Amino acid sequence: MELKEKLQILSDSAKYDASCSSSGSTRKNNGGFGNTHYAGICHSFSSDGRCISLLKILLTNACIYDCKYCPNRRSNNIKRAIFTPEEIAYITINFYKRNYIEGLFLSSGIIKNPDYTMSLLIETITLLRNKYHFNGYIHAKAIPGASESMLKKLGSLTDRLSANIELPTNESLKLLAPNKKENEVFKIMNYIKTNRNKSFVPAGQSTQMIIGASKETDLEIMQKSESMYNNQKLKRVYYSAYVPVNKDSLLPSITIPPLKRENRLYQADWLLRYYNFKVEDLLDKENPNFNILIDPKASWALNHLNEFPKEVSSCSYNDLLKIPGIGVISAKRIIKSRKHFKLTFQDLKKMGVVLKRAKYFITCGNKFYIDYSYLNKHFIETNLSIEDKIVNINKEEVKQLSLFNYE
Amino acid sequence: MNNIYIYNDSFISLLNLIKCLFKNKIRPYNIKNTFYNKNMFDNIIKLNIESDEEIIKEFINIFNTYNFKLIYNVFNSNEENKEIIIYYYLLNYFKYKDKLGMMRNLKCVSETLRISEKIGRECHKFKGFTRFKELKNKVLYAEINPDNNILYLLSIHFKKRLSNEYWCIKDINRNIISIYNKEDFEIISGNNIEIFKNNLSSDEQNISDMWKDFYKIVGIKERKNERCRMNFMPKKYWKVLTEMEEENEKDSIWKRVTRENRRGN
Ligand code: SF4
Repeated sequence: MELKEKLQILSDSAKYDASCSSSGSTRKNNGGFGNTHYAGICHSFSSDGRCISLLKILLTNACIYDCKYCPNRRSNNIKRAIFTPEEIAYITINFYKRNYIEGLFLSSGIIKNPDYTMSLLIETITLLRNKYHFNGYIHAKAIPGASESMLKKLGSLTDRLSANIELPTNESLKLLAPNKKENEVFKIMNYIKTNRNKSFVPAGQSTQMIIGASKETDLEIMQKSESMYNNQKLKRVYYSAYVPVNKDSLLPSITIPPLKRENRLYQADWLLRYYNFKVEDLLDKENPNFNILIDPKASWALNHLNEFPKEVSSCSYNDLLKIPGIGVISAKRIIKSRKHFKLTFQDLKKMGVVLKRAKYFITCGNKFYIDYSYLNKHFIETNLSIEDKIVNINKEEVKQLSLFNYE
Repeated sequence: MNNIYIYNDSFISLLNLIKCLFKNKIRPYNIKNTFYNKNMFDNIIKLNIESDEEIIKEFINIFNTYNFKLIYNVFNSNEENKEIIIYYYLLNYFKYKDKLGMMRNLKCVSETLRISEKIGRECHKFKGFTRFKELKNKVLYAEINPDNNILYLLSIHFKKRLSNEYWCIKDINRNIISIYNKEDFEIISGNNIEIFKNNLSSDEQNISDMWKDFYKIVGIKERKNERCRMNFMPKKYWKVLTEMEEENEKDSIWKRVTRENRRGN
């Protein structure tokens, strides 16, 4: 099979993995080839609007497992291919040199057994790092069931190493991915957490959950994320709206992936990581799912209108973060500036604070921005839901990281 | 009459002019380069000042590296009143010293920071969007079309990243080229060099074809979102992106046909 065709097959079978980040690492170019950028770099955007940063491929799609939701499952009748390590190195180096990519994302279907698959990943990445002196970003997927010695080797070669939890509960995993075991995924996560340092998975680990293939509520999904952020110290949880690639009686019969829901989960995830929210602030047993019409932060604010308006010239940093429309960058700017002069709405605009959403929730110098007789829940809710749009979460991450890096 | 002071287009000559204005306590109405089109109320003033490169050190000493980088970024932007913004930013530094950065209520400060961030953003975009082709002589060659002059900042990035390659990056909007010789880069006018950019290495076609395939395949059709793509990768950048060649062609055919169609009517 020609290399061109292999790439077609093995990039097609890797594309459903949502992770795309190339951030968090500061690998230097020590007389070799390439380096990494702490904030990550998007090199292109595909027709679905997702950032392309890494050459995302599988080493092979000839998988012995049969996960119900996966296009590569054993029972599907599709073309199979396998790359040699040299082939992967050739494409990676040549793509990198032309600045198409920031590095390599290498995953694989399971061939023979987990450790054998891991040994192929290790061989490939060793070749890149040692023979070609490649210092670009590498994110590899650890195969559940792999032995610790394999994890140790692979982690010492990569910037990011991760394992996908795939589904929010063990029951769903048993149902839809009968060969995978949750505790094997956690074994990997815990191993990486314990051993992570400058030369072992410096950019940390992430994971992915498929949304809408199983019956869990947003509450269950977010609780899972919260627990993994706290216990496994993950950098990111990716949420991947289930794309119906297979027909199966165990899978929901949808035709369109639940993108809006995915977007809400990302927004809420953002609130957990950067805005000091907890899942219990956002969802509970009575309301276990996010409002599709309004984002989680605004929705929280509308349910806590008695805590508003916040006076921006005196309220705490944490309170600033609770205001819809005010992000980490704006909040920091406000805190820095207001020590030195008396804030006005004009100043806020000059500072780049967008008032479009914030205006319903703030006063500045004890003045409202709009006639406050309008300020009732119904009015605000209507206005906010009109403006709501899907945002690309990766983009925000880049902004955010560069902020932490440079300011 | 409005006193407009003219400098000699280069950053160094602007700094020399500003120094002279400070020294003589002159408040200009505006500062413009030699391309400026005079209007009715303008009083154009050209001072005879020597362009001294030592001024860079002098300014860094007075205003510190951070502020110097900021105003250099502003100078490289395509903002209309960038010179006078720089003038007032520096002038206010004497008053506020290191607190200046917090004084975002001053227009010169909020503008300087806004413009500098804008440059940083566009440079960051091109850290991703720059596309090299490998020429027969193994030199990597890229063309970029940024709105602002980011070539210097971008070259610093690639100097670290591709330190063991020969590369050239041409800003086709400004006709300037950055040339890197495995040690350092130099930015020269496009008129001073001829690059045989169609003389490609034997691998080039094959590799760029694989990249175009990859690009097409990773887009999930059930998630297609043209608006989102356009937002992050505005059309104006497409013409330097290898993976967009096909779309560009479609676009230009569409434009030609509609133009001819209109002419026919
Ligand atoms: S292990 Fe499951 S999800 Fe991974 S490639 Fe094989 S079938 Fe697909």
